[in-house]
Amino acid sequence: MVLDLWFIFRVLVFPGFTFLLSLTMFCDWVERKIEARMQNRVGPKFTGPAGILQPFADFLKLLTKEDIVPRGAKSTVFKLAPIVAFSIVVFALSFLPIDGAAVISNSSFAGDLIVIMALLTIANFLLFLSGWASANPYGTIGAARVLTQFLGYDIPLFLLALAPAFLAGSLSIAAIAASQYLPFVLLAPWAFVLFIVALQAELEKDPFDIPHAESEVVGGLETEYCGRKLAFLHLTRDVQIVFGAALVVELFLGGPYGPVFFGFPAFWYSLWFVLKLLAVIIISEYLTCLFARLRIDQVLSANWKMLLPLSVLSLALTIALVTWVYPLVV
Amino acid sequence: MGGSLQIQPAHLGKASIQVKAESNRDALKLLVEADKNAGIIALTGVDLGAQIGLLYHIRTNGAVITLKSEVPKESPRIPTITDIIPGALFHEREAADLFGVVFEGHPNPARIVLPEDWSENLYPLRKDAKIDNATVKCESSKSKPEPVPPQSDGSLVNIIIGPQHPALLEPEKFSVKVNGEIVKQVEPRIGYVHRGVEKAAEQRTYLQDVYLVERICGICNSCHATCFVEAVEKILGTQVPPRAKYIRTIILELNRLHSHLLLLGHAGLEIGYETLFQYMWRDREPIMDVTELLTGNRVISSAIAVGGVRRDIRESDVPKIKAVLADLKKKMALYRQLYTNERTLKMRTQNVGTLSKEDAVKLCVVGPVARGSGVNIDVRKEEPYEAYGEIPFKLITYNTGDSWARFMVRIDEIDESISIIDYALDHLPAGPFRVRAPRVVAAGEAVNRVEAPRGELFYYVKSNGTAYPERVKVRTPTYANLPAFLKTAEGGNIADVPANFVSLDPCFSCTDR
Amino acid sequence: MGKKTTVSPMVKEALSNLFARPATSKYPFVKAEVPEGFRGKQVYDISLCISCGLCSRDCPAKAIEMVEVDAKRRPLFHLDLCIFCYQCAESCPRNAIKSSALFELASIDKSNLVVHPQASAQKGSGVQQ
Repeated sequence: MVLDLWFIFRVLVFPGFTFLLSLTMFCDWVERKIEARMQNRVGPKFTGPAGILQPFADFLKLLTKEDIVPRGAKSTVFKLAPIVAFSIVVFALSFLPIDGAAVISNSSFAGDLIVIMALLTIANFLLFLSGWASANPYGTIGAARVLTQFLGYDIPLFLLALAPAFLAGSLSIAAIAASQYLPFVLLAPWAFVLFIVALQAELEKDPFDIPHAESEVVGGLETEYCGRKLAFLHLTRDVQIVFGAALVVELFLGGPYGPVFFGFPAFWYSLWFVLKLLAVIIISEYLTCLFARLRIDQVLSANWKMLLPLSVLSLALTIALVTWVYPLVV
Repeated sequence: MGGSLQIQPAHLGKASIQVKAESNRDALKLLVEADKNAGIIALTGVDLGAQIGLLYHIRTNGAVITLKSEVPKESPRIPTITDIIPGALFHEREAADLFGVVFEGHPNPARIVLPEDWSENLYPLRKDAKIDNATVKCESSKSKPEPVPPQSDGSLVNIIIGPQHPALLEPEKFSVKVNGEIVKQVEPRIGYVHRGVEKAAEQRTYLQDVYLVERICGICNSCHATCFVEAVEKILGTQVPPRAKYIRTIILELNRLHSHLLLLGHAGLEIGYETLFQYMWRDREPIMDVTELLTGNRVISSAIAVGGVRRDIRESDVPKIKAVLADLKKKMALYRQLYTNERTLKMRTQNVGTLSKEDAVKLCVVGPVARGSGVNIDVRKEEPYEAYGEIPFKLITYNTGDSWARFMVRIDEIDESISIIDYALDHLPAGPFRVRAPRVVAAGEAVNRVEAPRGELFYYVKSNGTAYPERVKVRTPTYANLPAFLKTAEGGNIADVPANFVSLDPCFSCTDR
Repeated sequence: MGKKTTVSPMVKEALSNLFARPATSKYPFVKAEVPEGFRGKQVYDISLCISCGLCSRDCPAKAIEMVEVDAKRRPLFHLDLCIFCYQCAESCPRNAIKSSALFELASIDKSNLVVHPQASAQKGSGVQQ
């Protein structure tokens, strides 16, 4: 009985739903604040201390707005897609060891890396469906762009995620994170850099935010959404960003394990995890500030001509190092 | 051509020629043959009672020549000139809308500024038009539905941009026919914010008109005021004191500075470079503050008056202005580096919307758009007005003709503007800043040009000896540049449309008037 | 991105701005200052007015109405029509209309934007903040 309560607490409060959601809101605030400061603006300021409650306020505001399903939209898909996409991303996030173990303890199994990468793809596909179902030319174009882009960038992302797997000799995220006495970013920096770039494209951030290019496709796949459904679409996107950053932390930055560690382990694990997560988010936001948005054909050619060959090369290099060089060193 | 040509001694630009309606095409051909770079500036209609006067203002060899024809009001018909000068396309459509002149042989004589449900035989700029009844008539008359283009036409898909769209900050509509991602044809529909300023100007005194024309455009407001005021001063023969000329120059260049900064930043937004947008608009703010310091308002300066300027520059403000300019000059180095080095920015602007020099001349484009295509026209050099004849500055041209070149022209012009203002502040003549000008203007007419930030701005003012003008014609730069967008968008990528479009610095509040 | 030949100047600029003070002014918490000669809400001095009506005649926006106050015609300002060009101040032969730095004129009630000559003479400012 006690165990069950503990289980429910883990799923619903820490490090499960409540914690992940607050973390998402917090990361959204950090993102907006960092971007604002890099652009010499103030960013969110008045809701809560330093505007920290602004993402929450935005979410609440959208919840109270009128909810419309356009005539001609495929109603079921249109309504379900945002909430299912959101659930899937949160579900995928719960596989990552945050306070030393995944949300559902002992859920980790050999090969869960593949599962969560697949979940990320499915979530993207659901977002595509949501735009496709909205029966709006801009929504459709935006959706088609999402599809084109993630089909292209999924492959390199996956190839690059294999590098840490080879280094750790395991396809389990927990094992990969635990095996990083030396963070993999030091052992395979090229894979880390390429992974960040591919992730930037996968998460549709500048210079790859083509599906959201408002001067071209208005709101993209979100064009017809409003109210609660839009709130969940936004939340999905934010959780996706946190998920992407968390993936980088687990695969390359040594997961929740850090150099300073004593006393209550769960606290230190979570702290290290959040700090590393923020670092990744700041890097990603910095990249967003630096570039103009590319055109869809430029993005695709950059993918097929540059990123894909490079990621194959990176994989080959990693395998070679793992097989012949690192055994000599370590 | 026998007796159909008749030179009139008037100060309409450099010369005006009276031509019979049937031979206006021959006269035009002569002009175009004489100067390959000749182009049409504007086509002004004037109600002469029983006749409608049509004034073709032609730019040739840096001067304006006006061809005057008259057509009877009962059946106003005249052959089109669009085959000789393609740039006349929109001008003829506008004259057809506002005066009911039929241009025989015009390829697309559709409405351009008036709404589709406007009464059939009501031509607003004719003196006998009863505009007060217009709204009533509009409701009772059957609204002529706009021809709805088919959603797809073979392999062509029709995408409608506007009248409400995030890439357009002002309401206009563009029907873009695309084949896959490639644009095949662009059909514009302007007039969504037509306010009838030309008609309103006839019902106000010259004094009030200065404030009216100033509000045609928020960004180049002083240019409109100056252009109108100069035309009136030409009719009056008023000599503006030198100090006023210098102060006007400073205010005009401040206009150019903030307009260019706004555009370059806005371009960043259109190509998804938000950081650039935020930085440029941040640095535009001090320029607005300087305008406020000089004139009392940060946007609409209301500083220009017939006979001079309304306010003197305070000696104590000069160092403040200079400090702001020096600071901006320093910051411009970053933007120049960005536009010349930043890879993603160049990927989105280079080879986008390329306009060749020949097309630029043929379509009669003006301002930075023409200069980006290597056409060296600038009213400040051609017909120096205010203090521009005495201030040294460079005419900027780039030869590639793409969006990037048009942006680079503006970046260079910002530096030139800064040095112009610096020079003007250093060489500010002493003396009065305003002379008294009469409220009643003797009968006469004048054309005037000013180089607004977006290009050549043209005014034609006709007076009839009262305090109210008989006719005020405004030709704004965007109106002349719009054909260039239609031309360059064709064959380009649909995703390049915003980047291409914004490089013209379109202003529809100007275009529609 | 590996193909970048020159380093974008934005790399440095964005980082340095991260630690710089934001350029945003804190309006409305910090009052915005306007320069001398700012064209704000007009201040009308009834004691200088000679009821000539020139201001009303010249107003391009027709925002000035002449109303009867104590058997004399006085200007009534419709600030909702006013374009703040200050032609009235310029036309006034007695300098009865002067400028002020008051620019926060937004109101949800249009009647607040009508400045009656008597009211403005008594209160100085007819606009409620």
